[in-house]
Amino acid sequence: MRHALIRAALLLCSAGWLVTAGPVLAEESQPEPKPLKLTTTADHTKFKELQQTFNSGPEVTKACLRCHTEAAGQIHRTKHWKWEYLNPETKQTLGKKTVVNNFCISIASNYASCTSCHVGYGWKDASFDFASEENVDCLACHDTTGNYKKPPGFAGNPVVKDTEFPPGSGKIIKGIDLTKIAQKVGKSSRDTCGACHFNGGGGDGVKHGDMDSSLAAPTKDIDVHMDAEGLDFTCGTCHKTSSHDVAGSRYTPTAKDSKGAHVRGKADNGNPATCVACHGNGPHKSVARLNQHATKIACQTCHIPTYARGGIATKMTWDWSTAGQRDAEGKHIVKKDAKGRIVYESRKGDFTLAENVKPEYAWFNGNVQYTLLTDKIEKSEQRTPINKMGGSPSDGKSMIWPMKVFRGSQPYDPVNKTLITPHTAGNDDTGFWKNLDWDKAIPVGMKDSGAPYSGKFDFIKTEMSWPITHMVAPKDKALGCAECHSKQSRLAGIQGIYIPVRDNNKLLDTIGWSIVFLTMLGVFGHGAIRIVSSRKH
Amino acid sequence: MKFTTQLAAGVALSLLASAAFAYDADWKRGRVYYRSVCTSCHAVQPVGTINPSSKTKAEWAAYLKADKHAKGKDTVKQYVSKAYRASIKSGNKAAEKFAAVPDQELLDDVAAFLTKGAKDGDAPASCN
Repeated sequence: MRHALIRAALLLCSAGWLVTAGPVLAEESQPEPKPLKLTTTADHTKFKELQQTFNSGPEVTKACLRCHTEAAGQIHRTKHWKWEYLNPETKQTLGKKTVVNNFCISIASNYASCTSCHVGYGWKDASFDFASEENVDCLACHDTTGNYKKPPGFAGNPVVKDTEFPPGSGKIIKGIDLTKIAQKVGKSSRDTCGACHFNGGGGDGVKHGDMDSSLAAPTKDIDVHMDAEGLDFTCGTCHKTSSHDVAGSRYTPTAKDSKGAHVRGKADNGNPATCVACHGNGPHKSVARLNQHATKIACQTCHIPTYARGGIATKMTWDWSTAGQRDAEGKHIVKKDAKGRIVYESRKGDFTLAENVKPEYAWFNGNVQYTLLTDKIEKSEQRTPINKMGGSPSDGKSMIWPMKVFRGSQPYDPVNKTLITPHTAGNDDTGFWKNLDWDKAIPVGMKDSGAPYSGKFDFIKTEMSWPITHMVAPKDKALGCAECHSKQSRLAGIQGIYIPVRDNNKLLDTIGWSIVFLTMLGVFGHGAIRIVSSRKH
Repeated sequence: MKFTTQLAAGVALSLLASAAFAYDADWKRGRVYYRSVCTSCHAVQPVGTINPSSKTKAEWAAYLKADKHAKGKDTVKQYVSKAYRASIKSGNKAAEKFAAVPDQELLDDVAAFLTKGAKDGDAPASCN
């Protein structure tokens, strides 16, 4: 018996050694260290709470909250949860719940589709319970497998069993394994943030222009900070998160950061997501003159020469007025350009797309005034601004910023003189994307928005500005002097500042050249006198 | 018979023990290595780039198991090895960045990315 036990023990040891160390020793003389995860302090596969079958998102959240007891409460305070934000400057109530844009227009009456990007489960209409802890979606931000998906149309719920969607379409959405995903949670990443932020406006790169899936694992040329082979910043490296609240805002951007680089322990450091937060207010060490530029020009203006640089086109225009056409058989139409990109859809109208786009430039002081459903608008030759960017050369708060200006044509009410929020997404009789009927889609959408509708609609030209701040190029790709200091200046439309070469002021030019001439005369004259006088001696 | 049973039990237990310390492949690191090393080289070779989604999971598994690169002229493993990374790291940032990663871990990372990005994988992927 004793011998048998010893033999078994020896067998166990030898077989274990062979299995674990054998292949390594076969290839290298030095044994490799035991694999160690450095990106997390916990292996969630080991937690009993997660060793179960999960059939829904809220079941996963309940398990998470057993240990992370305060997390849901923290999420409840954030923009990512509320989709609502009160701008302290303008007093406007903003957030996705309220604002209108000129892409897919509005989430009102389209909740089940749009809330696939909400950090919650089950927001299908205005009755959503914002106080529910189990409705918080932990996996949206903490999935590391890249397999967690919340398809549009399911009110922010993941699909756990193969499901035909839309019903009767024959298209199957594959169910995902929530248990595997829950056991692999970790820090947020470019992939998790990007699942929504790369796809704003309904597709990869559509909305922002400076954010698309090329940033998931970018090269240095695409983004010097996120370079997957180099600095490898995640979104959270700059958008420093505190108690689940992510720093940085599209509603109140920091246009001019005069607070300097952030220092640990220093109180009231402001927005950690600005360039200045790391680089300070005098970042150019070798050419001091560039630091003078940095007092009036946002870093992004020179360091993001073009956006949509990752090989993914961004939408530049969207004309809803041409939506609704059908082919001879009454079916929806889809047209593509030579590169296979959709440029017309019956559901949405005409688009134009572009890559490597030079931004437009504007003075910007961080104030953004939105045109909301309650605001009156007038149709004219001028485009109606969906968001008006504040700024001037003389207010002391503005910098010259690069912008993506997205232009479109969208429905509005010519009697009430307001924008319109149509019911677009949805597999019902009134959804525009199904039936292409504005007369059905608009009344439902406006009712869900709680806004009056006269019964008449027209289309109005609009524009919306997006400050460009991602896709920072390597310094050798930053703009050269002549990009601005020339007659074909990028800053041709910027008023209120004198830009040498771009601008001509006869008096100033005459004075300047006279000084140059007199200086040269002095230098050569002095030299000539020295030569002549030395020969005399 | 008794000895065979003991041996089988020993191997099974050892496998369980090794599984407890099994490497959890990092598909994101595999993604960077595949694109920065494999694709960047393939792009300038006559064979051209190979999208992960050009093969099924089973095909990728079979390819990696066979370990035949360039139709058997050399091995796949050698292009993931530390020696290879050391040889190209002066001109390849990914090779430099992952210079110290154990060979098997990096191979597992690449395999995880290919499995995920395969035609029938969870997220079919291109080379870009």
